[in-house]
Amino acid sequence: MAHGVDAYTVGNEGREIFWNAPFPSELILFIFAGIAIAVCVYGFYRRWKMWKAIGLSENRTDKPGERIKSLFLNSILQLRTFKEAYPGIMHALIFFGFFVLIWGAAFDATHFHMPFLVPFFNGTFYLWFSFTMEVFGLTVLAGIAMAVWRRYIQKPERLEYRGKSDTVADDAIILTLIAGIIITGFLLEAFRLHVNINVDGYSWGGWSFVGYALSKTLTGVSYNTVEILHQWTWWIHAFVAFGFIAYIPFSKLIHIVLAPANQYMKSLKPAGYLEPIADFENAESFGVGQLEDFTWKQIFNSDACLRCGRCQDVCPAYLSGKPLSPKKLHQDIKEYWLERVPVVMAAKNAAKEGEEPSIPEPEKVMVGEVIDLHELWACTNCMACMEVCPVFNEHVPMITGMRQYKVLMEADFSPELQLTYRNMENNSNPWGIGAHMRGDWAKELGVKTLAEDSNVEYLYYVGCSGSFDDRGKKVTVAFAKLLKEAGISFGVLGEEESCCGDSAMRGGNEYLSQTLAQMNIDVMNGYGVKKIICTCPHGYNTLKKDYPHFGGNFEVYHHTEIIADLIAQGKLKLKKPVDGLFTYHDSCFLGRYNDIYEQPRNILKAVPGMKLSEMASSHDKSFCCGAGGARMWMEEDIGERINDMRTDQAIEVKADTIAVACPFCLTMMSDGIKDREVEEKMSALDIAEIVWDAMDLEEAPVDTPEENSVEESAPEEETPVVTE
Amino acid sequence: MNIVACVKQVPDTEAFIKVKPDGSGIEEGNIKWVMNPYDEYGVEEALKLKEAKGGEVTVVSLGPARAMETIRTALAMGADKGVHITIDDADAYNTAAALAAAMKDINPDIVFCGQRAIDDDSGQVGSVLAELLGMPQVTIITGFEVDGDKVKAVKPIEGAQLVVESAMPCVVTAQKGLNEPRYASLPGIMKAKKKPVDVKDAAALGLSVEPKAKIVRMTPPPERAPGKIIEGDDPAAKASELVKLLREEAKVI
Repeated sequence: MAHGVDAYTVGNEGREIFWNAPFPSELILFIFAGIAIAVCVYGFYRRWKMWKAIGLSENRTDKPGERIKSLFLNSILQLRTFKEAYPGIMHALIFFGFFVLIWGAAFDATHFHMPFLVPFFNGTFYLWFSFTMEVFGLTVLAGIAMAVWRRYIQKPERLEYRGKSDTVADDAIILTLIAGIIITGFLLEAFRLHVNINVDGYSWGGWSFVGYALSKTLTGVSYNTVEILHQWTWWIHAFVAFGFIAYIPFSKLIHIVLAPANQYMKSLKPAGYLEPIADFENAESFGVGQLEDFTWKQIFNSDACLRCGRCQDVCPAYLSGKPLSPKKLHQDIKEYWLERVPVVMAAKNAAKEGEEPSIPEPEKVMVGEVIDLHELWACTNCMACMEVCPVFNEHVPMITGMRQYKVLMEADFSPELQLTYRNMENNSNPWGIGAHMRGDWAKELGVKTLAEDSNVEYLYYVGCSGSFDDRGKKVTVAFAKLLKEAGISFGVLGEEESCCGDSAMRGGNEYLSQTLAQMNIDVMNGYGVKKIICTCPHGYNTLKKDYPHFGGNFEVYHHTEIIADLIAQGKLKLKKPVDGLFTYHDSCFLGRYNDIYEQPRNILKAVPGMKLSEMASSHDKSFCCGAGGARMWMEEDIGERINDMRTDQAIEVKADTIAVACPFCLTMMSDGIKDREVEEKMSALDIAEIVWDAMDLEEAPVDTPEENSVEESAPEEETPVVTE
Repeated sequence: MNIVACVKQVPDTEAFIKVKPDGSGIEEGNIKWVMNPYDEYGVEEALKLKEAKGGEVTVVSLGPARAMETIRTALAMGADKGVHITIDDADAYNTAAALAAAMKDINPDIVFCGQRAIDDDSGQVGSVLAELLGMPQVTIITGFEVDGDKVKAVKPIEGAQLVVESAMPCVVTAQKGLNEPRYASLPGIMKAKKKPVDVKDAAALGLSVEPKAKIVRMTPPPERAPGKIIEGDDPAAKASELVKLLREEAKVI
């Protein structure tokens, strides 16, 4: 039974491709391969038309250099996916295994059809090649085993939504297909080796160690039987592989293309960037009211979502029991897109050349029908979902778009937020305290306004919390004293300062936020301001990233950056040791939005006697305080309070002080401490207060938090109070 | 249905009010002007009525040029057109007379006013207007509905509430609790800029400029005296000191 080509001997090791596959096996194989590829190509062609059918235009192919870099880091090296150990390794085993095996198969094919391209193929190269293929075949199987374990046995909550499993037949089919290809591949090898080794004298068969080990179990089985088994398995192997190829565009496997596509087309804008609405006067619609109002990329995001659930696992809204899950958001949009897209495509196809197609009205509005109202408003804009999404989906701008529609078009949003916006309109702060009182904190300290002296290096943009909230004002005072002590030349805007607009923007009121931004920019430019310091990360983020859209180009610093510098330069001397254990709560708008993680920690470490402990979630995995995305001003009446959950993390590490660098976080942590009834042993302090206290320049230490945060006022019940 | 909502522009409740040195009025320099909150309830109810029964909402305001902003605010909320009677200042009677004169062309089926304006707190305009128009009035209402050709309004009284029925046309004055005024949508704000506002000079309406009531003098309330903290370690001694001060200094016991 001499099947093999005699040329394969020791010293010229190799194997016969299409061994035991008599004519017309090869022909049939190629025909079906062609069919499978055609189905796959058709599937992608159809999908392409679907992606093109709905969505506003958006350029995601600029700066190819940066995009190729993202493709390399995230698609090839899998850096994002590796951020989590188990799923990272699981995916890598399958991905790298498959990657190598496909190249191996291509190598094999080249060797068969165009041997002159790979003259080195036989011999030592072949042996190591065989060995490598075995290793990667095993890694794929290991990855599949991990995946099966995870999805079907371990069943982590991220693969569900509130107890309802996400798992569908597709998931099982894919795992079966991949495992099927590998297992039949190994069996095929075992059958072949059984004959090749024993009959044809392939003494190097052991290099294919998996197939070799399996072949040992065949001892005693007749070669005829094995050859028949081999042929059957050969066909099964081929058809499973063809099935896999054809199935790609119709299943979750489409991510083989969509994930790298999304990683290539990821947003290159600064973190948390929101595209400003350009023309209020002439635009007919604002925000996202229906599917068609999303950009094509936003819809593409939903298609690229693989339901991995990493976003859901870090979403403070989801974890605190609110209906929002970033994963579900994408899946719901995708589900409706799949319903809607055939209708739109049919209408476009029916339209005659050069004619505007008459597309039927959408069956569903986005908010209320596709996405639940409570989902929409539960988002704190913390960016945790976007930070972890392996395919770089952009959940937050999609949510903001829908909020814009509800607020600007329908004016249908919570009464608390309506009051907040009115307050911002009338008194330029969310509490609605008289705008004239904005600069009052500065008077006793002798801090000058730019109106009094504009010849200063820095403008200290205090923001609303620092100007109106009694607790926030203490931080402002502490920071102003630090600046004075360090001899920094600075001034404030006083009454001329307006609200930064962040809460309005993130709550969908782009019109109001732009109005406020413009007022600030006009005043700042009027004084020729160049450098700005903010104590509030919300102001910091919006001044830095959004104001340039409206003519406000400043160097913007957060106070933790400034303090860290001043300490490093020796301009602030910290003498008084602190007691107790500290933990630092990362503000989302400082950390994930602006990558400021180390400065606050370095400041704390510079304080004598500092004992610093990290909470369960910190740095880029920090857990939101619950106040971002205009949530600061809204009732939190579904599920647990997010700030309480965060406080629990601080209690867990037995912290005595929660150090914060954001007035919203300060309020939320202080409230959490009260809610958990630990105010006797725990307090929340801003970094500026901790530093000022450590400088030991005052007899009275920095006050502990009090309950005198400003309350929402009910202006209509009061007559104007004459205050002078 | 012809619906009219009367609005007045007033200083924001949180605005810093400074009395002019001569006591004739307040300094208007940095004041943020808003729609009188009670009038806002009236506008909202007018809009709800229009949405339910159809018709047109006309918003009428009396005041200097800046009052136009308040008219635009009501138009942004959804009112259809405005009438601006320009006048620098007017007492309650003249205000009502001007509003009544402006309404001659409108022939309203119902007129909404705020129960009072939060600046002068006089609370007369709605009632005087009803008298001048010869219409029945229901004041300080917290509930409102039109039932056929009648108005049914809810009016809180001590410990109870009255349901008052009135024939139309009539004047009603709105109290807090009547509704939650809507937040203007952005298209509403944009459209409001193009809605018609009829500007009429008060004198041209043939109004008497001689006020029936005159502000003699305005004075700010006296500055609040600072509080006193009783120092000491012995609670009993502190308590007796407190009693002594309450009796002798504050003279309240």
